[in-house]
Amino acid sequence: MSRVLVAAAIALAVASSASSAPQAQITVFAAASLTDVFPKIDRHPRYSFAGSNMLEAQIELGAPVDVFASANMTLPQTLFAKHLCSRPVVFTRNRLVVIVPRSNRAKIGSVSDLTRPGVKIVIADKGVPAGNYTLQVLQALHLSDQVLANVVSRENDVREVLAKIVLREADAGFVYATDAKAVAGDVKVITIPKKAEPGIQYGICVVPTGGHTTEARAFVKKVLAKKGQKKLRAAGFLPHR
Amino acid sequence: MKRLLLAVGAGIAAFVALAFLVLPIVALFVHTSPGRLIDQLSDPAVKDAFLVSLRTSLIAQALIVLVGTPTAYLIATRRFPGRTLAITLVELPLVLPPAVAGIGLLAAFGRAGLLGSTFDALGFSIPFTQAAVVMAVAFVASPLYIRQAIASFEGVNPDLVSASRTLGAGPARTFLRVVLPLARAGLAAGIALSFARGIGEFGATIMFAGSLQGVTQTLPLAIYAEFARNFDTAVAIGAALVLFSLVLLLALRLLLSWQISFSTRSWFRFGPSTSG
Repeated sequence: MSRVLVAAAIALAVASSASSAPQAQITVFAAASLTDVFPKIDRHPRYSFAGSNMLEAQIELGAPVDVFASANMTLPQTLFAKHLCSRPVVFTRNRLVVIVPRSNRAKIGSVSDLTRPGVKIVIADKGVPAGNYTLQVLQALHLSDQVLANVVSRENDVREVLAKIVLREADAGFVYATDAKAVAGDVKVITIPKKAEPGIQYGICVVPTGGHTTEARAFVKKVLAKKGQKKLRAAGFLPHR
Repeated sequence: MKRLLLAVGAGIAAFVALAFLVLPIVALFVHTSPGRLIDQLSDPAVKDAFLVSLRTSLIAQALIVLVGTPTAYLIATRRFPGRTLAITLVELPLVLPPAVAGIGLLAAFGRAGLLGSTFDALGFSIPFTQAAVVMAVAFVASPLYIRQAIASFEGVNPDLVSASRTLGAGPARTFLRVVLPLARAGLAAGIALSFARGIGEFGATIMFAGSLQGVTQTLPLAIYAEFARNFDTAVAIGAALVLFSLVLLLALRLLLSWQISFSTRSWFRFGPSTSG
């Protein structure tokens, strides 16, 4: 009896896996900040959005992926150096901003207000691109120690930072300008002084483990093409050059 | 012949099941050399996470026992309207996905939550504090203890309780001298179970308490953070947690055999509450 069940289960599994592969659907691993815009550029791929460093770790562990789009250049370059993806190209740029809940109970008007004791700040974790940019900005402004003392949580991707501010659980957070734009009704944006801007470049590359390099290259082309760039700009991203 | 085939089939199934369950755990230990595994644990982030986990789990467990024991005793010994509902509500967090627990805790105790403005007026907020970790752990782990405690109290012979009362002992004395000793093995098993669940809590914690080294980053949260940073460290924490869970499981087994040898009456039963 149990053998019959096992055989049936195997038959079912084989049948369903066979039927779920009609044409090549590519898998795209993309930075959390691309969550809203990538499906607008191409709705066909299977997307996984997360912190770029988390995605990079999964690719290193052999995840079947066709395209990797990172919120920095260093992670795809690391993969390229290990022959795990093609030479990365910059496909868009972004800015880091401070956001506060619309109610702004902590009355934050500038980045230096973040040093006031008792302000609850949420940032992305070190290693997450948004987290690294945040640390760079704070260093450039010589505010690292005071602001980091107010940090109550280090999140695993930038969208989790965004959620904590939208939910009003924290007083301020560091996210990309594009994240802030996605929830414009819920948050106020405080810009970061130009001199401290980290210069954020997004890199994209083709990963061979997914087995669809031709389709993957077509996807990258689509992102770099006029139409893709237009969608990115509409979401608040900056042109890649 | 048919019998032999069946036996072989069952044997293969058992082998597959065991291999499937054991392999990931073995893999944690053979991923790197034991020396390197221990090296990874000296990372200050791991030490901090260990201390946070230990502290929050112990506080949560103390609260669970303190509040859960009388609750369980009440449910086990009294018949009142809504008793079945009470048992169901107590058990509900057991089957809830942890992410639901996290979002629920935020919706109830977060700054923008149901009680948020009340807490605000009192001058404190819970998210991002160790109190939030304790609450997340208590929320997901307490049902395991309370459920087990109800079963243990139900297993205490009511004749012994009435005898104690007839002989002049008050309800408090009876509870402490008769009921608790009779139920203690079951209660201890409940503590072991809920502690194990609490130590592993992840989803509700990361949503409700956030993740900050030395404050709210527990061992499971540290595994997740290290996964993207240093896979070896993540593996090392995982291996340490496996050993810890193994110790808890062995303690649980010992407690169970203690309970069984301890009970000599046929009325004694051990297991989930079936009444109500």
